[in-house]
Amino acid sequence: MIETFVSFFFGTSDPVYIFTLLLLVTFGGILITLSVHLIPVGGAPAAMAQATGVGTGTTQLAAGAGLTGLLIAVSVSAATQNFFFTILLGGIGSAVMIALVMLMSNVGYIYGVGVPPASGKTVRDPLTNDRQDIYVSKGTEGHGVPTASFISGVFGGFLGGASGSLIFEVFIRMDPVLSASAVVLAVVLSISLFFINAVIASYNIGGTIEGFYDAKFKRLPRAVAVSATVTFICGALCLLTLINFGGII
Amino acid sequence: MDPLFGMGILALIGAVAAIAGYTEDLESVVGSQSNPNSQVQLAPQMKYPHRLFNKAISGEPLSNAMSATVGGIVFVAFMSAFQLPVITVIVAGSAVAAILHIFLSTTSFFGRIASQSRFKQPLYMDVFKRNISVIAAYAFMTTACVLIISYLMTTYLENPIPVPLMAFLLGIMVGSIGSSVGDIQYGAERQFQNLEFGAGVNAAYSGNIVRKAESGTRSGIDNSWFSAKFGGPTTGITFAAVLFITSWLTILFNPEWGSIVGWVGTCAGILFILLTILANRILEKSARRKFGPYREEEKTEIVE
Repeated sequence: MIETFVSFFFGTSDPVYIFTLLLLVTFGGILITLSVHLIPVGGAPAAMAQATGVGTGTTQLAAGAGLTGLLIAVSVSAATQNFFFTILLGGIGSAVMIALVMLMSNVGYIYGVGVPPASGKTVRDPLTNDRQDIYVSKGTEGHGVPTASFISGVFGGFLGGASGSLIFEVFIRMDPVLSASAVVLAVVLSISLFFINAVIASYNIGGTIEGFYDAKFKRLPRAVAVSATVTFICGALCLLTLINFGGII
Repeated sequence: MDPLFGMGILALIGAVAAIAGYTEDLESVVGSQSNPNSQVQLAPQMKYPHRLFNKAISGEPLSNAMSATVGGIVFVAFMSAFQLPVITVIVAGSAVAAILHIFLSTTSFFGRIASQSRFKQPLYMDVFKRNISVIAAYAFMTTACVLIISYLMTTYLENPIPVPLMAFLLGIMVGSIGSSVGDIQYGAERQFQNLEFGAGVNAAYSGNIVRKAESGTRSGIDNSWFSAKFGGPTTGITFAAVLFITSWLTILFNPEWGSIVGWVGTCAGILFILLTILANRILEKSARRKFGPYREEEKTEIVE
């Protein structure tokens, strides 16, 4: 196993190496599914301050965050060819995006709508131990992004960005020459794998989730199994595509 | 690359991104795209026929990514085929994208309203004629700003992603931010101004949107006037801040200069995230202190 990882870093090739790449892609896909489960999303009801979380679709927010990370990862990868910093800064970029979006949507809820952030799923915030139920307005299931959801979302954003960057880094290393077409192919394939896994997670949580403390988070194993299967198949197709386009064998 | 030069370009990107976020949100408000569209779509079924423009081409990220990518492709094609100046090809690309957006908005509007004929929702041609030019203008502005950012990033910030793909990524980003930050004020406040301020929309009032304007009946343009004062600017600030902060981390602390610089950049990023968590906590506490609870604490039973 160690040898294959070494060969991954130094770029020698054999079937075990290709299989390791596939496993890394699958691992990245599973992490994307996990990250979408952690990001607090309220879907359309949250745009009417009827549900806790950011007021947009799961896939859309996860994609927005993940692609921000990917943008940073591509520029870091091109400048340094450093595997570690690409993934780390990709994750940080995503986390910054999701943190800013959650902060500004809370500004919108507080100053634009006049509601305090409150969770409808728990009585007390799991991290700050504040009462939640008395701050939920009538006929709604909470609104805004309370602290526990915020921190959960930051971790989700980091994982999403880091795993998207991991998949990109695997694909870009298939081609030893950093040409423009290789970058485009790697970016497009990693975006597609990102969307596939975000949609799987979105179906699993039924459109809304508040973060790690939500009861729906317990459905995670099912999504992980589906994600591992689908990413393995799609990842194999991606690697074959890259080999077909002159990637390293 | 000289960090000072990079910071200058980044400041320009931030300014353009603020305009992109602003126009993107207002475009979605005029046409009632994105999540608040569910209420506009529901209103005729609840016997509230309205005179709002109703289009939901797709989620905001994908519809903006579509326009931006089309603009980016025209940009590259015109630039390589005719060697035109950058400003000209940006305008050409944005114009083509705006025309495509008009097509999609038109089919979406007629399809959606026609499907509601069984709920007695009339198809107003004057609503279509009045709003479509505003939608096209905002779509043009958003695409132009996204193309300017893409061009600056690929040419001056040495990002290896080509312009059309960069425009796609930025389109997804601006749409996802506009959908999550800007639409809250439109969906939860503007559409339900008949309800008391300071509460989420009770699920029982779904579809009961306000149809009277400050003068006459309400149109999408009235809504954009309202959102231009809060929803649009917050979207613009967020999009500019996201692009500025994330790029700032790799330009000021470029990992190319050594792993220590990379680590400093990582620490700066983590510090910024911690600051946002702190700011959110302060905001949450101050909101709860000022607004107070909706129910008395003692009288409410804790149901675990």
